[in-house]
Order: sequence, then C-alpha cells, then structure tokens
Amino acid sequence: MSKLWLVPVLFILVILAIFSSTPPRLRADFTYVNPSGIHTLDPARMSWTQDFRIALNIWEGLTTRHAKTTEPVEGAAIFPPKVSEDGLTYTFTIRDDARWSNGEPVTAHDFLRGWRRGMEPGTATDYTYLFTQHIEGAGQYVRCRRDAVAILTAFRRLQDRRSITIEQAQQLVAIAESFAFGTLLGGAVIEASPPGAPCPDWKWSEFADRLRSGRSDWPRARDEFLDDHIAEAEVAFRQVGIDAVDDRTLVVQLVNPCPYFLDLTAFPIFLPIHVSIEQLRARFHGDPYTAEGLVVYDPQWTKPDYRAFGYPGLITNGPYIIDEWIFKRRLSLGPNPHHRDAPRLGCRTIDMVTYDNANAAIMAYEAGDVDFLPSMVVSYDHEIARLARYGERPDFRLCEVMATYFLNFNCTSTKVNGVPNPFVDRRVRKAFALAVDRERIVEQVLRRGDRLAHSFVPPNTIPGYTPPDGLSFDPVTGRALLAEAGYPDGVGLPPIEYLYTDRDVQAAQALANMWSRELGARIELRSLETKTFAEEKAAHRFMIARGNWYGDYNDPTTFLDCLATDNGNNDSGYANPDFDQSLHDAARTRDSAERFAILRRAETLLLEKDVPILPILHYAEPIAIKPYVRGLYPNRRVWVSFRDLTIER
Amino acid sequence: MIRLLTRRLLLGAVTILCIYAVTFVMVVTLPGNPFQQGQHNLSVETEMALRSRYGMDDNWSFFWKFLGRAIRGDFGPSFSYADWTCTQIIADALPVSMLLGFLAILIAVLVGVPIGALSAVRRNGWFDVTTLAFVLIGVSLPTFVTGSALLTLFAVYWPVAPIGGWGTLAHLPLPAITLALPFTAYVARLTRAGMLDVLGSDFIRTALAKGLSRRVVITKHALKVAFLPVLSFLGPATAQAMTGSFVVEKVFGVPGLGQHFVNAALNRDVGLIMSTVLVFSTLLVVFNIVVDLLYAWIDPRITHAA
Repeated sequence: MSKLWLVPVLFILVILAIFSSTPPRLRADFTYVNPSGIHTLDPARMSWTQDFRIALNIWEGLTTRHAKTTEPVEGAAIFPPKVSEDGLTYTFTIRDDARWSNGEPVTAHDFLRGWRRGMEPGTATDYTYLFTQHIEGAGQYVRCRRDAVAILTAFRRLQDRRSITIEQAQQLVAIAESFAFGTLLGGAVIEASPPGAPCPDWKWSEFADRLRSGRSDWPRARDEFLDDHIAEAEVAFRQVGIDAVDDRTLVVQLVNPCPYFLDLTAFPIFLPIHVSIEQLRARFHGDPYTAEGLVVYDPQWTKPDYRAFGYPGLITNGPYIIDEWIFKRRLSLGPNPHHRDAPRLGCRTIDMVTYDNANAAIMAYEAGDVDFLPSMVVSYDHEIARLARYGERPDFRLCEVMATYFLNFNCTSTKVNGVPNPFVDRRVRKAFALAVDRERIVEQVLRRGDRLAHSFVPPNTIPGYTPPDGLSFDPVTGRALLAEAGYPDGVGLPPIEYLYTDRDVQAAQALANMWSRELGARIELRSLETKTFAEEKAAHRFMIARGNWYGDYNDPTTFLDCLATDNGNNDSGYANPDFDQSLHDAARTRDSAERFAILRRAETLLLEKDVPILPILHYAEPIAIKPYVRGLYPNRRVWVSFRDLTIER
Repeated sequence: MIRLLTRRLLLGAVTILCIYAVTFVMVVTLPGNPFQQGQHNLSVETEMALRSRYGMDDNWSFFWKFLGRAIRGDFGPSFSYADWTCTQIIADALPVSMLLGFLAILIAVLVGVPIGALSAVRRNGWFDVTTLAFVLIGVSLPTFVTGSALLTLFAVYWPVAPIGGWGTLAHLPLPAITLALPFTAYVARLTRAGMLDVLGSDFIRTALAKGLSRRVVITKHALKVAFLPVLSFLGPATAQAMTGSFVVEKVFGVPGLGQHFVNAALNRDVGLIMSTVLVFSTLLVVFNIVVDLLYAWIDPRITHAA
C-alpha cells in the first residue's frame, strides 16, 4: 500500500519530462485564428473559406486577386493575357520568375495537371462546374469519366454479387455491343426479354437481378472496359480546350465569352499542382486507376513533411510555404525563398491557430495572443456589432461580405410531408414575401449590423451591376394576393412549416410572428441540426426554408445560376424557362452593359414576379484586427492575402 | 486469476464488438450526408465517386472492411478532414486526453481521500459540514460553469494562467482542476461513507483496544478498507476522465480527443466516429479489467467469488 505513493510521483516526473523536452515556441510575426481547422488543402476538393485563405497564400494561380478590391491582378502569368477578338481564346504566358518552392520553374503543364484534377471524379467535388460551364470540351470529358465510373462500379458490385441499380443495368446494355463482354450481357438479355432490343416495358430490375446471379467473368469484363476507357479518356482530354503549347504558354478555349474568366483563374480549383504528386498516384494505390476507374492520390500529399514513396513533401508556388501543420492546432507559414515577393514580405512567420470555441478565441485576442480574428460567431455578436458600429472598438470591424441570407419557398413539391404545399402558387409565395418586415429582423431582432437585402446579388459588390429593387414590406397587398389565391385571411391554409437550423431561432420566431399576424397563417417551426437541415433542404422536404449563399467570383451569375432549373443548389425547385433562357443569353453576350441588363431582367423576374426566394439580409461579418497590423484588407470575402502584411508594434 | 483474466478479456472483446455494431447502425441510419462540405449540395455523380472512393457504397462490406482494418490499428481516412487519417488524429489527441484525465484522477484521489477520511473522523463537525457543501457544489456544477469561472478568475482578472491552448506546463493546472472537481467530490463522499462503515467495525475497536494510536488505526487499518469502494470507482472514472473531457477541452482549447469525438458526430465523419468510439470503448473496457484485477489483488475474496 505504501508503495502506491510512487504512482503520482512518477507520473508528475513524466509530465515534467514531456513538457520540458519541448522548447517554448517563439511567437510568430502574425497569428490568426481559424475557427474550425482546415478541412483540406487539396485545391480540387476545398470549399470552405478558411481553406481558401491558406491555399491562396501558398499557391498562386494564373491570376491572383487584389488584396483590397478582389479584382484580378497578376499572378504566375503575365497580366493581362492575350484574349482573342471573340473573347473565346485566352493565351497565358507564365512568368520567367514563377518558381515552385523547390526552385523549379512553374510550367503550363503544372496548370494542366491541376485543372485536370479539378475535373476528375475521384479528386474534385464541388467546383468542377467552373470547368464544365466555361471550358470547351470539359463537359464531355467529365461526362465520359463519370459514365465510366458508374459502369465500373456496376462491374465491381456484380463481381461482389451485390445488386445494381436499374440505371447501371441500362448503362451496361448501352455499351454492351462494342465490347467482347457484350456476349456475357447478351446471354442475360436474351434470357430476360424477347429477342431484339429491350422494349419500353422491359423489366430492368429483373435483368439486373439476372446479371447478379449469373456466373460471369466480371473482372475480365472490367479490365477490358477500363483499358478501353483509359484510351478514350485520354482522347477526350485532348479535346478539352486547355493546351500547354510549350512550357510557358497555356492556351484556354472557352465555350462562351466569359467576362469574369480572369477572376476564376484566381480561384483555388484553377491552381497549378507540382509534378511530384504523381508519385503518390500510381504507387500509393498500386494502380493509376482504382477498380471503379477513379484517379486517387494519397490524401496526405498536402503535408509539408510527408515522405512516403519518395515524395518530397508538399511543393507550392505561392509567396508562403507551410513549415509545420499539426492537426487542428497550428499551421505555420514561412516565406517561399524562390518566390519573387519573398524579399518583400513584411511578415516572415505566420501562425494559424485553431480555437474550437469562439469565446476562447476572443479572449486570446483580448489577451494579445492573437492578432486577427476572421470571424466572431458568438451568442453576443450583436454586442460586438454595436462596439464596431459606433467606433467604440476601432479594431472591431464589420466586413460587408458578398453573401445573402434568404428564404426558399418550395415551388416544386405539391405535397410536403403529406400536407398540400400552397407555395406552388406564386401568389402565395409573393404574399408571404410581402408580409416580411426585413428592417425589423435586421435592426431589432438580430442587431448584428447586417445590410437589408432587397436583391439576391448584394448591391455595390460587382462593378457595373445594379441589382433590381425587389419587393418591400407591404402586408396589405400581401393579404390581397393571398385572398386571390383562395386563402382569405389565411383561411384554408395548411399549417406552414418553416425549416431552419438550430442557430437561427430568433429570426425564425420573428418570421413566424409576422406571417401569423399579417396573413393569419399558422406557422410550425421546425429546427434541425446543420447536417440534417442540409439534407432536408436539398431534397425539397420543406415549405419555407432558410438559405444562405456566398458568392464565389465577381459576377451576378455566382448567385443567379443557383436558380437555374437543373442547378444542384436550386433548393426551392424553381423552374422557369424564361429565366434559364436569360442566363443562356447572358452567357453568349460579350458587351458587359448589355449582359448585365439581361441578368438584371432575370433577377427582376426572380424577385418581383416568381418569388422562389426572398432575400432578407446581406451578412456583415464581424472581424477583429489589432491596430498595429497594416496591409490586411477585410475584403468582401475575407480571403485575405498576407503578401502586403506588416506589423508596426 | 488467469481464469478471471481470460473471462474478462473475452467479455471485453464481445462488448467492444457490440458497441461497434450498434454505433455502425446508428451512423448509417443517421440523417445528414457525410460527404457534403461547404455550401454546395452534393451532386449524384460526386457522391457516387466519393462513396466508392471511401468504400461506403455498400454498408455491409464497409462494416467488415472497417473492422478488419481497425483491428490492425488502421482506421482509414477522416471523411471531413480529408488530408488526415483517423489514426493520425487519434495518435495526436489521445495522449493529451489521457494525460489530462490521469492528472484529474490523481488530483481527485490526492485531495478527495484525505478530505473524505477527515470528515468521517470528525463526523458532523464544522469540517464535515463545510466539505459536504463543497462536495455538493462539485457534484452538481457542470464543468463548463466551473471551467469558465476559473478561466475568468485566473486568466482574465488575475492573469496567472494562459487563456487556453496546450504545450507548456502553465496550460495544465486549470483544465486539470476543472476536470478533477466532480471526481474529487465523489471520491470524498465514497471515502467518507466507507470510513464511517469501517470505523464502526470490530477490528478497528480491537486495534484501538490493544492500544494503537488513533492516527495509526485510521491511516494504516481503516483507510485501507475504506479505499476499496474508491478503487472500484477509479476504473470507470479514469476512463471517463480521459474520454469525457470534451467540455473542459472546449472551454480551455485543449487539443484532446473529446472534441474530435463530438465534432465527428456533428460532421457525420463516419470514419472518425467509428474510430473514436472504438478507442473510447476499448479504454473503458481495459480500465474496468485493470480495476477488477487490482481489486482481486487487494481483496482475495473476489477471486474466489468469480
């Protein structure tokens, strides 16, 4: 028993040993907080602002964005590039002095590699559409790859004796004729159907089952198909309008004249990738393609100290490089010695630290451990907004970001959870929109210093574009419209379900209050946790749902495209061929003024006539910058560049 | 002893398997998409590609594949932090949580046992009453209240400790004390109750009667027996302190495993949920076995009963 006292003594000695063996770190020149850690540093996959912020400081695209205005300026290529008369061909010349962090020159092929990863189904996720929408042949390439992945997945499932979907069975039959394994399928086709081509009422599910139970050599069929597909994909990629003419010349062929293309080339998915990543493709997986035809890289390639398979660690071409990255604790940046701006960098070391708790982050800022907070999401944010607005804390600022908080009306489902959905009628949508007093929500309920929103595209963000006036608070007209739609004083309206995330209680209650007071509607509030909310919203299982959207590039289409009929982010399910046609026409118009006029008409149609959405406010993001920090510009996206940063303590 | 150990180990393995299966079912049936990131809805094609890349297009085969890899210590990639493997995340965070948990339990025992013993000896005296009040507060106040209070006191108003973070000795005391509070209170209560029980027993009266000093009787004889209930509490408590420090980690910005555990559930990070659950449940099972063995060693009657 008496020896038990040794346990605590030993333990304390161990603790002392652990902590004294690591020397205390010197404080970096500049330290800022990243609220929730980096999700990924793979430019093809990233979709969070905090990830973009790091990526755009360690990589450099063909263009970069001006730190203050976010206008495109010179990046790794000479600015401006040569643009053909019709606005469809861009010829970029890579700068002489563009260098990777290991000293090698940046080439056009590095861009080709990065952009291809941005289109590959195995590597890219959310932003592939920036290629397929704008670059010649990219859509065909991506489709060819995606179809192949679907077919190969079907093969693998059949091999494992698992069921395949009807779509997959159909795809298999569609390609069967051109392959030797077609005979494998042919047997099943003949067994399952009368001779000849499958007729419309052919039982696909039965056929799929038959394929599964049949004893066929699926691995061989898969190999045959994959070999053929790889050759086909290479041909398809050569048709894509991206061409590395020589090491320093990159020619890009667009589908339509795209006035904001140079803005896009500064976006993370358009970044170049160093050739060393290829070592982590074939050797990581043992095969350049997975059994499903996906291209996969060892996901650890973004680590500066990763050395597997002879990989030299992450190589980037921006003004900074990553010195150290500890998961969800700290990411340290240092200057890239080979970058042309390296000698001019005001901050040699930058630390990004993670505080899971916004409160702790603010306390660390107040204590002077941190120089910059890019966001302050706390329960007392109205208090922070007040301090910022009235100049009591000049280091607190409200950043007018390019983002809109709006309501989605479900325009598509006739029934929601078994209840008839009145919002398929545009008069009901408009009535509910007219009954919302935004000023009350912004000024009295939320009090965060946000701007009232009358349009989807935030005003004064895109030079030359003035969004339409939209609807104002007018409950009288709203009531009249509701009566016209067959619900006088809200009589006959089913209970209206408002879907929101648990963080938005105040606004939800205010809205419910307005609708029941002005229109006599009965509102049921349904709050969901973020991830569940996102799923319900995307599946149109709501009557009215909260929405928000952050613009990605400086053009109205970054907002308006969301409401195109087939767009994956069209949560309201809005479909109007006139609106789609306007977007289509705008894409083909070169003259900027004319183009903006078309887009403005489209937005007017959206906001004043069809009302699938109701903009409520444009966010003002509270940020904090210590007064001794110079050259840090809180721009519309808080995508700050550290290039011009200096500290004057 | 060997028989007890094998029985315990087998039962432990079955327990962990059951926990794995139940967690898996919950993770798969949970609404919300693990692959969706940022503001974009996931397209069907992207989701399909991601699912097959992570081997998630078939739940049944994923269940076995994940289990097979987990046994070899490879938990696969994190779904929402794509650049990291779950093994790396756990290897980075688990030692932090363990250190903090051990320290808290150490404080709980070193402070709780003397307090409990003393208040039993001075039963209903002023010491007993005041400690009872403190114990009540310690048990009932949640750590986010005590943690925030300590932080405000010792880091803001009287800045002797850093606001939060990890890496130096100065970062340790506040979170450890916060985490230790409820355990200390409980240990004190257990010791007091055990002590009261023992003090009334025959062997103590005999020891006093044969002329041993009161101090020796209490520290050498009574405490040893009174410590038994505390010991059986320490097994689950150590596991709980090491795994349940989420709130403390959040308040003090400690990079432990608890925060990943909770964030993984919020992010629907299937890989990280499964691996943290496996690690936590293994810890819990192991500590219970260790305590059972210790118990058998201290009190041989247990082995016979088994």
